[in-house]
Amino acid sequence: MSANPTIASPDRPVAPTRSGRRAVAAAILVVVVGWSVSGLGVSLDRLLGAPGDAWDIFRRMVPPAFAEAAERGVVGKVLESVHIAWIGTLIGATLSLPLAFLAAENVAPAAVRIPVRQLFNVIRAVPELILAVILIPITGLGPWAGALAIGIHSVGTLGKWATETIEGVDTGPLEAVAATGGRWVSGMRWGVVPQILPVVTSQWLFRFEINVRASAVLGMIGAGGVGSELVSQLVFRNFPAVGAVLLMTIAVVLSIDTASAAVRRRIIRGAATSSGIDSDEDRNAAVLADLTGLGR
Amino acid sequence: MIRFDDVSVTYRGGVQALRNVDLRVDDGEFVVVVGLSGAGKSTLLRALNGLVPATSGSITIDGTEVVGAGAAELRVIRSRIGMIFQTFNLVHRTSVLNNVLMGRLSAVPAWRSTLGLWPSTEREAALQALERVGIVEKAYVRASNLSGGQQQRVGIARALAQEPAVMLADEPVAALDPVTSRQVMGDLQRINREMGITTLVNLHFLDLAREFGSRLVGLRDGEVVFDGDISDVTDVTFQEIYGRAITDDDLLAVDAEPAG
Amino acid sequence: MNTPLIGTTTGRPSRPRRGLRLWPVVGALAAYTLFAGHKVGFDASTFWNVWSNPLWEKFWPIPWDWVLDRHNVLDPLVETLQIAVVSTLIGCTLALPLAFAMSPLTSPNRVTLVVSRSAMNVVRAVPDLFWAKLLVTAVGVGAFAGSWALSVFSLGVMVKLFSETIDGADPRPLEAARAAGGRHGPVVRTGVLPTVLPEYVAYGLYVFELNIRASVVLGLVGAGGIGRVVEAQRQYFRFDRVLGVLVLVFVVVFVIEQVSVAIRRRLV
Repeated sequence: MSANPTIASPDRPVAPTRSGRRAVAAAILVVVVGWSVSGLGVSLDRLLGAPGDAWDIFRRMVPPAFAEAAERGVVGKVLESVHIAWIGTLIGATLSLPLAFLAAENVAPAAVRIPVRQLFNVIRAVPELILAVILIPITGLGPWAGALAIGIHSVGTLGKWATETIEGVDTGPLEAVAATGGRWVSGMRWGVVPQILPVVTSQWLFRFEINVRASAVLGMIGAGGVGSELVSQLVFRNFPAVGAVLLMTIAVVLSIDTASAAVRRRIIRGAATSSGIDSDEDRNAAVLADLTGLGR
Repeated sequence: MIRFDDVSVTYRGGVQALRNVDLRVDDGEFVVVVGLSGAGKSTLLRALNGLVPATSGSITIDGTEVVGAGAAELRVIRSRIGMIFQTFNLVHRTSVLNNVLMGRLSAVPAWRSTLGLWPSTEREAALQALERVGIVEKAYVRASNLSGGQQQRVGIARALAQEPAVMLADEPVAALDPVTSRQVMGDLQRINREMGITTLVNLHFLDLAREFGSRLVGLRDGEVVFDGDISDVTDVTFQEIYGRAITDDDLLAVDAEPAG
Repeated sequence: MNTPLIGTTTGRPSRPRRGLRLWPVVGALAAYTLFAGHKVGFDASTFWNVWSNPLWEKFWPIPWDWVLDRHNVLDPLVETLQIAVVSTLIGCTLALPLAFAMSPLTSPNRVTLVVSRSAMNVVRAVPDLFWAKLLVTAVGVGAFAGSWALSVFSLGVMVKLFSETIDGADPRPLEAARAAGGRHGPVVRTGVLPTVLPEYVAYGLYVFELNIRASVVLGLVGAGGIGRVVEAQRQYFRFDRVLGVLVLVFVVVFVIEQVSVAIRRRLV
């Protein structure tokens, strides 16, 4: 293409000026941040002192008072949080899946779809804590309020995710069922459900991981679980005990996260089998790792 | 001058990609490397700039040892070696100029390139590299908006921006159509002749190898099975290198006009 | 055996064993469900009792004159927005280098990779409100603790989302940058940042929305923002005001969400 590649041509393009939109966005950002910071009225020494204050508390948590905690049944409380999260997730899963079908573009008519989708949005907008606050006067204090709060809130998130999954299915199997004269329900059962089940199950597990944290928090307002322990120990400023509660919570959460992630990976990978591709990918990944220098 | 002395490369999974390779390339040579997929062509090139660590043996460039070199030394070695890739390896979301500037990474302090504050001298160098490959008018165009051939040109400009002593091309035309492939190969040849940059090119297509190469190195199962002048190469040579008969897949085009 | 009309056959294969022995697992989970349900005090009657509870009367009618009063609700709401802005900024700024450190593609070395991942795992294993409560104890009640708590929350969310994006980015320009002899920082900046930056900004907007919602909850533990109002009214059993505030927050979040979605669509 170039006649004489080593001679500089005089017609270079003009560098585009920094697009105006970017400048406006940056200016807005600066104004908003400035307004926020000044609005909060934080003085500099307080700002700098905060990490120190927080560090002080953490220091006082060591060594954590495990024996004392075990005596008081903290382990049971932590497990109770897990139970709450499990039941809550199940409630959410059971309720959300049928609703998700009703909210899916390729399944339900607009008249049904739109209200259901808005229902999901509204539910999602209400945090579990608020739900628990509303439910406690009705169900009384205790883990059931927590499980219900988590269950209802999960319907919103799980519903949204499931709807998106359903909308993303390959319609081929659906057509096949219709071609054999099958009914709508059969179409769902054989055409859609097998495709979405791995992904949806994986979503439920992921929600379970999040819900374990949520249930720990719900304890702080009396809806069962370990949160109440944290609050009571903090009130007494018994920091070693607080440390024990934190560490046990972290341990349980991490274990569940790891186990759940492994199961989720297994489910997704199991669903995406096609011969030979995995091993190619593994091999390419190994070569890529070498090539990108991570071997060092 | 580039020297491979008894170089072997074994990947972490146990695959041995190069076996006891001896090779000597003088300054300014244009070397074409052929071989089946998996024969070790890519590994050969990447061992030279240390992207793939050699398991044993010695690789020297003008006396500097690559095998076992520390991170800082490797950066210096790499700054003098320009590399272009089969898949171009451009950043799609940014401009052509920003892509070419990557070639100047070794020339500016880390803080400057990390913050994106390139001195005007570097921009100038990048623009000149683009002029040398004839697409400077696309300097501010998003890289993904270019055709394959144009993207490879950007890749060449990026390598040229380094002002390298050596140019490595890993199957640079495998993803391009025959006409563009000939143009790119012609560009590489011109760069080698006019700028005296030692060039090693991996090629998949044997007719291209014969048309543009001056020296041919054939790899099979990680070993050098042929190393000589292109005029000594016949179809039989290729068959020996490949270990099988030559098919149409190994040729770029059955009848196409050579680039002017 | 039937002779096939087309092709040949070697006889029927034996039925494949399920890879993950499914039924024992399902059985175990079902057993656990029953156990957990019992422990939790599952009470199916709630599902129909709840509707007839007299408590619902206390939620209605919503006293709009009180809700829309500046001092009662609008000022704390403004404070919530300010907290959200500051927290998003702090959390997301810290998340940028951290996410790069956590990804095998862009981490400078193994030690950094492992340390940053472990640290983030621990931080994210602590429920967000635990952080808030701890910080309230440490630095006192109010917006200050809330900002710090939400910063940690923002950091956690952004790091999770963004590091996944980085993991999925095209690694080939990185190879080219390394081949050109760049140092680690510049390699990441030129090789991968332009590719992932739009997603980063999009996530930032998303985190901002999350922060506004989260601040409602934060107030329940005394960490400032609109939640303070909710908690106060809840303690007086003024559920009608609580509902009013929640509706208002919902509207604000909805508006911000629409704007945010519009901006995000133009980015990616």
